[in-house]
Amino acid sequence: MSVDGDDNGRRLEQYAELAVRVGANVQPGQEVFIQPMVEHTELARALVRQAYEAGASYVHVVYRDEHVRRARIELGPDSALTYSPDWEIALTEAESGNASIGTMGKPDPQLLADLDGERIGRAVQVQIAEIVQRQHRESSVNWCGIGAPNAGWAKQVFGEPDVERLWDKVAFCMRLDEPDPVAAWREHIARLDARAETLTALRPDALRYRGPGTDLTVGLLPTARWGSARFRTSGGIDYVANMPTEEIFTTPDSRRAEGTIRSRKPLSLNGQIIRGLQFTFEEGRIVGVDAEQGADLVRSQIATNENADRLGELALVTSESRVGQSGTLFFDTLFDENATCHIAYGMGLPYAFDGEPDERTNACNVHVDFMVGAPELEVDAVLADGSEVPLIRNEEWQLA
Amino acid sequence: MDERLERYAELAVRVGANVQPGQEVFLFAAVEHHDLARALTRQAYRAGASYVNVLYSDMHARKAMIELGPDEALTYAPGWLKDFVTSIAGNALIATTGDPEPDLLADLDGERVGRAVPQEIVQIRMQQMGENSVNWVGVGAPGEEWARQVFGEPDVERLWEAVAYCMRLDEPDPAAAWSEHLARLEARTTQLNELKADALRYRGPGTDLTVGLLANARWESGSSTTSGGITYVANMPTEELFTSPDARRTEGTIRQTLPLPLSGQVVRNLELTFEGGRAVRVEAESGADLVRSHFATIENADRLGEVALVTKESRVGQTGLVFNDPLYDENATCHMAYGAAFPFLLDGEPGEGFNVANMHVDFMVGGPELEVDAVMPDGAEVPLIRNEEWQLA
Repeated sequence: MSVDGDDNGRRLEQYAELAVRVGANVQPGQEVFIQPMVEHTELARALVRQAYEAGASYVHVVYRDEHVRRARIELGPDSALTYSPDWEIALTEAESGNASIGTMGKPDPQLLADLDGERIGRAVQVQIAEIVQRQHRESSVNWCGIGAPNAGWAKQVFGEPDVERLWDKVAFCMRLDEPDPVAAWREHIARLDARAETLTALRPDALRYRGPGTDLTVGLLPTARWGSARFRTSGGIDYVANMPTEEIFTTPDSRRAEGTIRSRKPLSLNGQIIRGLQFTFEEGRIVGVDAEQGADLVRSQIATNENADRLGELALVTSESRVGQSGTLFFDTLFDENATCHIAYGMGLPYAFDGEPDERTNACNVHVDFMVGAPELEVDAVLADGSEVPLIRNEEWQLA
Repeated sequence: MDERLERYAELAVRVGANVQPGQEVFLFAAVEHHDLARALTRQAYRAGASYVNVLYSDMHARKAMIELGPDEALTYAPGWLKDFVTSIAGNALIATTGDPEPDLLADLDGERVGRAVPQEIVQIRMQQMGENSVNWVGVGAPGEEWARQVFGEPDVERLWEAVAYCMRLDEPDPAAAWSEHLARLEARTTQLNELKADALRYRGPGTDLTVGLLANARWESGSSTTSGGITYVANMPTEELFTSPDARRTEGTIRQTLPLPLSGQVVRNLELTFEGGRAVRVEAESGADLVRSHFATIENADRLGEVALVTKESRVGQTGLVFNDPLYDENATCHMAYGAAFPFLLDGEPGEGFNVANMHVDFMVGGPELEVDAVMPDGAEVPLIRNEEWQLA
């Protein structure tokens, strides 16, 4: 093996170790569930090794295959679209109390581009989605999502399958260039948490977004907490759910959204790429969907999944973001949503407020983040008395 | 789309598993076999499958478990996996064979490798075999790694030619060619069933073995039928006539003639000596520890579960290749298996001579010098195979 190869091997193990120890924070004796794509074998295997090194009692590796999904949507009967096999229900249930690592980075983000968007939008395993929602509500899983560089993904990003270049970008976003990545992550999360605390203490009644094609007001819950992607399970395990993560976020009052918002970046969604997405809201519900590309898929999701037409998340990202600084459009939500401000339609986040969820928290089987940030985007906090406090100007944080 | 791959997958789905409209299909494949797995998924949906469940395995994950995991992990059978396997009953199953790196676990402790069997899972499958509730097929997955093992270089084209020949894909109508082939094999099993031999006797270099036969176990070949009436071909290719022997009556020594990739190690020149039906001595040039660990940790793995006869008409044998894949190599030449016997071969209830084990491992014993005789109840011997040719008229 060449020196280069050794360096790459070390980087891979270091990356996997970061995901296992800082991300999912696997505890000795826990079972670990890894659900990579078949093109992610290299990283998946490193994750298995690192999970056992961290004391996992058993590591389950269940590969997903987008081509199998494509065959199901293209050639399968209608009933196959939403079917949740018993074994997959059991697999999902088994994650409760255990650790889970998901790998992102589709080798072909446009694999389903020629399929009927309506069918793709309908293809949601409802029973499994409900279990996952409950696990979120109960905070029963320490989990982490990370990227898995591969040739197809690199080709989508750079126009050529330059995996090494993609690895460099990912390593930068993941702070692997730091002498002590674990310590760098601790500091980074502390900075985000401090910012979130300031915003929570401000107790805004709403956020107002203004920019080209955008004028949207979204109501917030009086009990809203802003937070980073560092969470704690009900069993007391701290974990970082997304790596990279650059956002602070909350879940809005899903009954209160008025106005129009325009997405500023392409969105890779279920095997299609959505461009120029624009939503109009009235009384919390989406009443208009437009897009230059992929509108059918989004409309189908919203038509077939109850409450997908209401908002579930608001997230603020500023120019300190390493993902933003990388200047790269990743065509992967895990990365792109951490480059800039974003919003999600669908499922609300049960851990982003105090108290029990009520009708203001959106219950839904899908959660789709779309990017709205740009240098021109202005975000203000609207306080209870109607006054407005600038939060973001020119992608910079405005609160002291 | 690769036309050849789709035709191959179609043959496996329609002739092999014979997937019925409305059935679920369960697909086991190594993660390296994803091209074939995807084609099988497409063809299964085209055949009317209601849902295709695909479960990829990864030997590298297994390696990490054996090397770095706790002892309990070795035999652990996760609940969801039990559910997966249990759900196969009444449905169709397709498994791809061809270990991309058969030597991957060569440097690990053979005892640990041998112990690493989720026996509860195997038990569920054995029960389904007994109830004959699954129409299933195993097919090889041509790819670079497999080609490298056969030819020493990743010549996938050449491997495809060999596979297409063994699978009769070179015939104008492969499905019809399969029907004829299965009928030929069937005629021979009828001969054997009518002969009512009491035992088989194997003689050859390093080999002199007598294996008792069960009076209530049939010989079968190529095609089988589920209890629900679905006809299927469990192995493609298939060239064998097989039965399950009386596990109490094996005496003598048998020598393996082709290498066997097994659980990430390669067993070479295995020599087993039997007394009173049980293997009492295990020697091998490589992989002996793994086989010994099977015999030590899995009940009745040290008794025989299958004897199978293959002659020179075999298309696999005619290629002259060692495929390093049991599915292919066992159809090139005579073989036998230690471990579980096949309950679907029985007329009536299993007796004491019928072997029950959570494992079934085929190993090849055939070759030009192997002589196989049928021993009749009166002690007379009837030649079955000489110089790889069938001797019964």
